[in-house]
Amino acid sequence: MPDKLSFESTFNALERATTITQHRHSLITDNISESDTPYYRPKELDFKKALAEAMEPAAKAPMAQTDPKHLSPEPGPIQGMDVFEEESEWNGFNWVNIDREMTKLTENDLMYRTATEALLRKITLLKEVIREGGR
Amino acid sequence: MGFLKTLDISASGLFVQRKIMDVIASNLANMETTRTEKGGPYRRKMVVLRTDPSDDFSHLLDLQMQSVRLEGIVEDKSPLRQVYDPAHPDADKEGHLLKPNVDLVVEMTNMLIARRVFEANVVAMKTTRQMTLKALEVGR
Repeated sequence: MPDKLSFESTFNALERATTITQHRHSLITDNISESDTPYYRPKELDFKKALAEAMEPAAKAPMAQTDPKHLSPEPGPIQGMDVFEEESEWNGFNWVNIDREMTKLTENDLMYRTATEALLRKITLLKEVIREGGR
Repeated sequence: MGFLKTLDISASGLFVQRKIMDVIASNLANMETTRTEKGGPYRRKMVVLRTDPSDDFSHLLDLQMQSVRLEGIVEDKSPLRQVYDPAHPDADKEGHLLKPNVDLVVEMTNMLIARRVFEANVVAMKTTRQMTLKALEVGR
């Protein structure tokens, strides 16, 4: 069962998760840097939704799967992520809540680290197979 | 993921303490204000807080973990300070002047509490972060 053991789907998901968290990180740091800008509205990205969209197979190559063991089509390249204006409270100057942005920064950092750690362990597993398989 | 919720709870603490600080700043700035839009001297403001039940009811345990929410800002109904100052334009015929019911000692104490609670929330957040990072090392 190559597909069950394969690194494809997990690798794809983790790679996409890191890309999305990276993108979200830049959005959050942007919000923080704009916290002194009058009438600035913070930008946000829905991680769950973005990942779900990123994992959708590319529509261009529909492959028929007549057997569950057939390879499933790979997800296409990440399209533009859905960035929206964050719902937040007017603070008399703009809409940036610095505590919230810092929390999101920590949150996002932890998500990124979790994804990269999982990716690293996947690679370690692969290395182990290569090393031990030839013996 | 669990740690996201914990961080959100700490964040609500940070937000609320910042609001309390706003109110204290307002009280201190208006300690001597005798004219307001509503008429009369400034009255000391206070915050009212309430627990914010989590919107995720998937686990019963989550019901016990609640973030904090700002219910509202109310006025302190305690009597105003009366001082004798006949030269002041807002003094009455006898020369008595009503001043805001802001007590400097109370405000400074509240400020200290707000600061410490804010710090405590930051420490809670840091700990959550460290715990999650440590968990990533399991079995490495």
